[in-house]
Amino acid sequence: MVKCRSFVLLFTLLAFGVPASAAEPADAAKPGPNAGLLRLGSPAPPVFPSLRAARQGQAAAPEDDPDLDVDPLQTDFTLITLPTTLRMPRGKSAFRVTHRFTRPLGQGDFGNLLEDFFGIDSGAVIGLEYRVGIMRGAHAGIRRTNDRTIEFFTEYNVLQERDSKPVGLSVLASIDGTNNFRDSYTPGLGVVVSRSLPGAGTVYIEPIWVNNSNPLPSELADDNNTFLLGLGTRLRLRPSVYLVGEIVPRVAGYDPGVNHASLAVEKLLGLHVFQFNFSNGFGTTTGQVARGGTASDDWYLGFSISRKFF
Amino acid sequence: MDMRITLGGTALVLALALAGCDEKLSDLTGPTPNLEPTFSSIQKEIFDTTDASGRLLCTGCHSNVGRNPSGGLNLLAGASRASLVGVASTGKPGAVRIIPGDPENSYIIHKLEGRSTIAGTRMPRGNGPYLTDGQMLVIKRWISNGAPNN
Repeated sequence: MVKCRSFVLLFTLLAFGVPASAAEPADAAKPGPNAGLLRLGSPAPPVFPSLRAARQGQAAAPEDDPDLDVDPLQTDFTLITLPTTLRMPRGKSAFRVTHRFTRPLGQGDFGNLLEDFFGIDSGAVIGLEYRVGIMRGAHAGIRRTNDRTIEFFTEYNVLQERDSKPVGLSVLASIDGTNNFRDSYTPGLGVVVSRSLPGAGTVYIEPIWVNNSNPLPSELADDNNTFLLGLGTRLRLRPSVYLVGEIVPRVAGYDPGVNHASLAVEKLLGLHVFQFNFSNGFGTTTGQVARGGTASDDWYLGFSISRKFF
Repeated sequence: MDMRITLGGTALVLALALAGCDEKLSDLTGPTPNLEPTFSSIQKEIFDTTDASGRLLCTGCHSNVGRNPSGGLNLLAGASRASLVGVASTGKPGAVRIIPGDPENSYIIHKLEGRSTIAGTRMPRGNGPYLTDGQMLVIKRWISNGAPNN
């Protein structure tokens, strides 16, 4: 058991402590910066035919919420493990499933790898995630991995690059707990800064402070916190195909193992994102990422599928 | 920027700073819940006491009261630290009982963990119970800290 006095207050503050109006862009209804984005009810350009087809049956009046736009340079709420600054429309939601197969790809020769079908025959660390927009610019969610870690997280978008600001910026808070959120709580607090590369993709820098990343009591540890500097990018290779990469150096504090790193290829298909990834660890929660990957020369196959419900 | 956002953000940072999540040491040390990585605590909880698991105290044999201490190691309070820290083992030539700051090469750790390289038997003598992993972590931590007389 641990002492952890105010994480409930933390989430209450993030979720409800700021007015909804503050998160809304002042010129939300104006054309201009949003002109290149896709919006519900508007004709979609041919790069997203499936999305357009999915929405053809919707006869309801179009909602005037710019967060419903699909940003082709920022297609999902996460890169591979790191969050993005993508805004969730209020009242809408998204689901994601993650698999990280536990067989190192470098184990044995290629024949062995083929016998195990690139690790798919092995066990996997599986995660399920659901997030919902709780107000304009803010969403909260829950993520559970099959090692019985549960993470609650919330993110509040402060700046939108599409409002002619030079960068997008979100603040995030999370807390994960092992043993179905009964033991070893690990809160995190950070910001996500994004900058789009016109026509090419988006880059991210994400300083995140993680408390109690060390599973040992502080009396037995030199460091009990970790300061991460997440670096990531999503590059648009084809109209709906992306190359995604991220590395998460631990710049201070507890840093066992190796820094988490991942590379992925993903396909945007309507409201789904299908991603194949390669990682040097299994972590998907903030606390798991703070504890690092397993070894620099061990890489693992994984995949993620996400679905937006809006 | 809206004042409420500023206030909310400030409160958020303060809330997290106050959160201070940490595991309890007593959850780790099992049969000796009061054990801490200090010399006085190790003396009391490990050397002088048979704990709740049945693990025997050390001073039953490592004492100079009415006997010669086993292995020439006197673990009675007041004598134990001088018998341990920087002192060569009498059982294994070249080994040092406790090397401050270096638990992995301290011979007492090898004896308590029953490593294959030790001379004689694993401590405590008999077939256990032995020290738990948590108790060993506490002792190692005290050695890592320089084995101070605290």
